[in-house]
Amino acid sequence: MGLRDLVDAVLGKSTLPKAKSEKLFAMSTASITLESNLGLKPSGSAGICFKPIGASAYESTRKEIQELLEYSSKETETDFRLENDEFNFLWAIFKDPDLEDLVANIHLVSETLEERGFGGQLLCAIYRFDSEPEAGKAGRGETVYWIYNFKQGTYYPFVPLSGKQRDSPFEFKLRSEMEREMPIEENVEKWYPLWGIPF
Amino acid sequence: MKRKWERDLGLQGRMIFTMFLLAAVYFLFLVFLSYNGTPTVVMMLFVGSFMAIQYFYSDKLVLWSTGAHIVSESEAPQLHGIITRLCAIADLPKPQVAIVRTQVPNAFATGRNQNNAVVAVTTGIMDKLSPAELEAVIAHELTHVKNRDMAIMTIASFISTLAFYFARYVLYFGDMGGDRKKEGGGVLLVWLVSLAVWAISFLLIRALSRYREYAADRGAAIITGQPSNLASALMKISGVMSKVPREDLRSVEGMNAFFIIPAISGSSIMDLFSTHPSVEKRIAKLEKMQQDLG
Repeated sequence: MGLRDLVDAVLGKSTLPKAKSEKLFAMSTASITLESNLGLKPSGSAGICFKPIGASAYESTRKEIQELLEYSSKETETDFRLENDEFNFLWAIFKDPDLEDLVANIHLVSETLEERGFGGQLLCAIYRFDSEPEAGKAGRGETVYWIYNFKQGTYYPFVPLSGKQRDSPFEFKLRSEMEREMPIEENVEKWYPLWGIPF
Repeated sequence: MKRKWERDLGLQGRMIFTMFLLAAVYFLFLVFLSYNGTPTVVMMLFVGSFMAIQYFYSDKLVLWSTGAHIVSESEAPQLHGIITRLCAIADLPKPQVAIVRTQVPNAFATGRNQNNAVVAVTTGIMDKLSPAELEAVIAHELTHVKNRDMAIMTIASFISTLAFYFARYVLYFGDMGGDRKKEGGGVLLVWLVSLAVWAISFLLIRALSRYREYAADRGAAIITGQPSNLASALMKISGVMSKVPREDLRSVEGMNAFFIIPAISGSSIMDLFSTHPSVEKRIAKLEKMQQDLG
C-alpha cells in the first residue's frame, strides 16, 4: 500500500487493483513440494474464472478467448472448455497431465485479458490437487484446491468438505508447509471459498 | 530431519539475552539513581515488600481474582487423572487442581515453585476441547510450572515496577528529601529517565514472556509427543478458524473495489506489547515440530 493508494482511497477513487499474473508461475515449483511432502498430486485439471463485463463486450471477449485457446491448446495438447456458472462468471477449464502446460494456458488467458484492459475482471485461477488415499501423512483422500487471487497476487488453499464445510485445520497445515515455497495470502479473512468448482 | 529437539538453542539464547538486557537496564538505573543522590532505600523497601507479597501469595491472589476453586480427586476424577499422568511423565510433584466456572476457554498455572503450584482450567475449555487437546493445554501449563516461569516473571517485573513507582514518586513529591539545590529541570529529567526505564523494561518483559510461552509450547509437545494436539487446541480456543470465511468469492467479488483501502495491519507494533505470541505463529511452530517428528 503506497501513499497514492491511500490518497485514492481517501478521495474515493476506487480504482480496481491491477491483476498480478507474474506470481502465477510459483505453482510450477510448489507442486513438487506438494507431492513429496504432502502426497498431493496435480489432478491434471485447472481453471480460470472471470467476470463478464457487459453483454456485447462479453460475447467478443468470449470469442477471442475461444479462438486463442483453440490455437494454444494445439501447441500444448491441452483439452479445454468454456462454461458459465450460476453466478454468471465465465470459466475456462483445462485438462492436461502436464502441470506446466496448465500454468502456461492460464497465463495466456490472463495476459490476453490484461492486454485488452480487462485485467480487473479476472477473479481467480484454480489448480486442483488430489491426495492419494494410501499416502501416509495427508492421506485422507481429499481434494485440495489452490486458489490464485489475481488482485492480491497470492495463493490460498481451499479444502471443501461435504455440505459447504471446509477443512480449515488442513488448510492451515498446508499454509505452514508451503509458505516458503509460494506467495500465500497472509490474511485468512480473504480465503474465500468457491463452492461447486466445476472440475 | 533432526529428531531431537529437547533443546532449542535459539530460544534459550534469546531468553538469556533478554534477561541480560533487563539486568543491564536495572544496573544503569541504579547507577543513575546513586549519581543523583536519591534516597533509594525507602523506595527499595517499599517496592521490595510489595513484590514479596506478590511472590509468596501469588497463587492465592490469582485464585481469588479469577474465582477458581480447588477441586479434590473425587470431584473431578478425569482432570486429576490427566494431571497425575502428565506429572509422572514430566517428573513433577502433583500440583493442586482448580476449576473456574466460566464459558471462556482458558487455563493457567501459578505458584512460586514446583511444590506450591496450582493448575487451573475453566469449564469452558473442558467442554470445547477433545481429551487429547485438553491434555496438551495442561502439559503447556505444567511446563510453565517446571520452568518456574512464575518466579522468573515476578523477578523480571520487579525492575519495571520499581521504575514505575519511582517515576510516580518523583512526579508527586518533586525533589523532596533530595538536595535542595536542584532545579525543576533536574526533577523533570529524573522523571523522564524513570519513565524511559520503565517503558524499556516493560517491552523487555513482554518479550521474555513471549519466549516463555514458546518454551511452554515446546514442553507440551515433548510431554505429550504430539505437537499437533496443542496446535488444534490453540485453533479452537483462539477462534482463528472462525476467521476463515464461508461466503463464496463470487458473491463478495463486488466488494473487491474496497480492498484497495489500506488495512491497518499493525501487527508488528502490537507484537511488542503482547505477552503471548500470536496464535498463528505458535501454531506454525508447533506444526514445524510435528514435521520434525516425522
